[in-house]
Amino acid sequence: MKKRNYNLIIGLTITGVLLLFTLIGQFWTPYSITETNVALKNAAPSLEHLMGCDNLGRDILSRVMKGCGTTFFVALLTVAIGSVFGTIIGALTGFYGGWLDRIVMRINDILLSFPSVLLVLIFISVIGKGKYNVILALGILFIPSFVRMVRSEVIRYKEQEFVKSARVLGAGNMRIIFVHILPNISVSMLTTAAIGFNNAVLAEASMSYLGLGVQPPEPSLGRMLSEAQGYVFNAPWYAIWPGIVIVLIILGFSLISEGLRKMTES
Amino acid sequence: MEDKTLISVRDLTVGFPAGKGDIHTVLDHINFDIGQGEIVGIVGESGSGKSMTALSIMGLLSKDAVIMDGTVELRGTDILNIDHEKRRKIQGDDMTMVFQEPMTSLNPVMRIGDQVGEVLKLHTKLHDDEIERRVAESLLSVGLKNPEELMKSYPHQLSGGMRQRVMIAMAIINQPDLIICDEPTTALDVTVQAQILALLKKIHREKKCSILFISHDLNVIKEICQRVIVMYHGTIVEQGSVDEVMYAPKHDYTRKLIASMPEQLSENISKDPLIHVKDLNIYYRTAGKIFTSKKDRMVYVKDLSFDIYKGEIFGLVGESGCGKTTVAKALTGLNTDIEGTMDLGGTMPQMVFQDPFSSLNPAMKIGKILEEPLKLAGVKNKTERREKVNEVLQEIGLDESFAGRYARELSGGQRQRIAIGLALMRGEKFIIADEPVSALDVTVQSQILKLLIRLHKERGLTILLISHDLNIVRHMCNRVVVMYLGRIVEMADVNELYDNPMHPYTRMLFESILTDKKKTDTDKITVNEVRPLKRDQEMCAFYGRCRYAQDKCQEKALELRNIGTEESPHLLRCCLRIARDE
Repeated sequence: MKKRNYNLIIGLTITGVLLLFTLIGQFWTPYSITETNVALKNAAPSLEHLMGCDNLGRDILSRVMKGCGTTFFVALLTVAIGSVFGTIIGALTGFYGGWLDRIVMRINDILLSFPSVLLVLIFISVIGKGKYNVILALGILFIPSFVRMVRSEVIRYKEQEFVKSARVLGAGNMRIIFVHILPNISVSMLTTAAIGFNNAVLAEASMSYLGLGVQPPEPSLGRMLSEAQGYVFNAPWYAIWPGIVIVLIILGFSLISEGLRKMTES
Repeated sequence: MEDKTLISVRDLTVGFPAGKGDIHTVLDHINFDIGQGEIVGIVGESGSGKSMTALSIMGLLSKDAVIMDGTVELRGTDILNIDHEKRRKIQGDDMTMVFQEPMTSLNPVMRIGDQVGEVLKLHTKLHDDEIERRVAESLLSVGLKNPEELMKSYPHQLSGGMRQRVMIAMAIINQPDLIICDEPTTALDVTVQAQILALLKKIHREKKCSILFISHDLNVIKEICQRVIVMYHGTIVEQGSVDEVMYAPKHDYTRKLIASMPEQLSENISKDPLIHVKDLNIYYRTAGKIFTSKKDRMVYVKDLSFDIYKGEIFGLVGESGCGKTTVAKALTGLNTDIEGTMDLGGTMPQMVFQDPFSSLNPAMKIGKILEEPLKLAGVKNKTERREKVNEVLQEIGLDESFAGRYARELSGGQRQRIAIGLALMRGEKFIIADEPVSALDVTVQSQILKLLIRLHKERGLTILLISHDLNIVRHMCNRVVVMYLGRIVEMADVNELYDNPMHPYTRMLFESILTDKKKTDTDKITVNEVRPLKRDQEMCAFYGRCRYAQDKCQEKALELRNIGTEESPHLLRCCLRIARDE
């Protein structure tokens, strides 16, 4: 008797709908995202403007659609940097061990022991603000969590007999790591990536909220929240909609990662 | 002996829910009795319901299990459907159980004394001092020395054999009427196994208790039991006295079990060496330091010299820890920290590992696993690789559909076939089989051994067979080498070695096998468990355990000397000439 993996199903549904919503936003939005209209300043949600308008009279639905794309873009690239470099470093240190492993793990511990937002702030203050700098900074800071996970999994697998078997057949170290061991930890990697994606969405939102990330007039969910804070009382919808979308993105990916974990356990 | 029945099992039927209201039956109308003071054996392969039967009697079935029919009576009273309190009382007072795995069935954080005394604490009102006295007594009676000291130690400080003795001490301390032993010797070395069996016999004689002995090993059953029950797929296919069942089996399955030893090889082999090893030392690094130097390594196998002839099956035997697997690792290049000569005759030795459950990559389909050696050899053409895979699959007795499956969808025997196929993919002439069947059921074992013999004949395959099972080695191998603590102690043709073992260690090994020719008098085996000496010492390593040991054994380094003829050498590393019939 097989239990349905509701976590995975619901997670994939939420994320799928959001992705579709975002994808449409990249090519078509109901209104222009930059054109201002004083007459519609802080207009409440209506049939013309389903989510209402912001302090400059721009359509919030359109900006959320477009902003979602920016947020996804930043988060995806961040996770990509973190997972690719983290996997390579983690796999190599886990496999070879020795002094290289010790040094890398100590650096890892140091990076993990500071709050990541603080480190990104330091990083940004050195290399300057902007979307791509935030991606770079966040990406580098996501490396340690991947290193840690991949390293421990590689250590677990490297003593297994199928690895010895591959070596006896004449496979080299790189082939053993990337062809024989890594496919075994792909699910763990996906789970970590899903969690990392969530953190990246939140980090992007906080960076943009602080004004360090995405620069106006380009919308991002964090940027919109930051701009909305002055109008929480006279136009609450300005803050509520981007907030709900962030919550949904995180919920979707959390459910997916939980679902993947359950899938491997069964 | 049949006059007083202790346990009576009638029509016992047990199942597990299999979803959608179905029930998967694991025991199907089981009927048998255990008389007072009788030793009854249950034999069968895994999944036959042996353990389920024991657990039903003990009342240790998992909560999911459904008892569908039948009764289990202890001296005429039903014990299958009683409340928890009564059950607990029976478990402590009337029957106990010894489990297979002495490593995990003792609590690692409890002192031995407390664990053994636990039963008395729970089931009697004895004073602490009295309990302590009884524990010491019980430990002594299972042949453990220094009980006072032992009671203060923790399980990890004990060897496997000692732990199993502790388990038995625990089982007999409250003088139960029935001891259920579930594969109590399966996890142990042959020498220790013989000691434990002798101990169980002694306890049976002294305490007059009944024993229900569960094993997949017919030889063990034959050694200890008076009556035997053969189980297959949850039913009893045959039961009777040991002699009746063993020498005049009625059921086909019993015959199959008894006949599952493989055929003997009897062909002349060339004297043309394929593998040549001379004065090989194999080292291990001692872990735990950042910078390791040559000083931090320890010699694990020393002065290894042997030739393996083209087309022979060469046996390597010895107890665990003697360096068998280390030799295999050196030959296959898994351990490169070696000194000496190792000529592999241009072959690239392939290996069949012991555990087919971890030797196949769980993330790859079988087809891909089998293609890997070809890819590594540079075969670029995909169809060529597929064809070769199908060819080998047929050769190992499987069909093409297996290429699309994952290892987890295969049985242990099928996996081991794949592992053998993997070793053959590139047409190598020499493979090393490291305990290739010890993780498998008896009937499956013989299939795998037969496959190896067939490949040996058809392909002219040279095989190095590493095994602790002396019966298998005798049936399969042309020549045998015996290792003890990292050194060769004896080497000869298989018949010469088995007929005329000269090294005291080899003799000890042979005494502990339970052959079908005669019942060995296991009571005679009284080998102390002595901590082995260091591997790098020069004197005889077996000194501490040797029953023929003399002062001169400690004096000088020992060389392997030939006590046979030039034609058929019999090499021995022992300074004594022990008379044949001693």
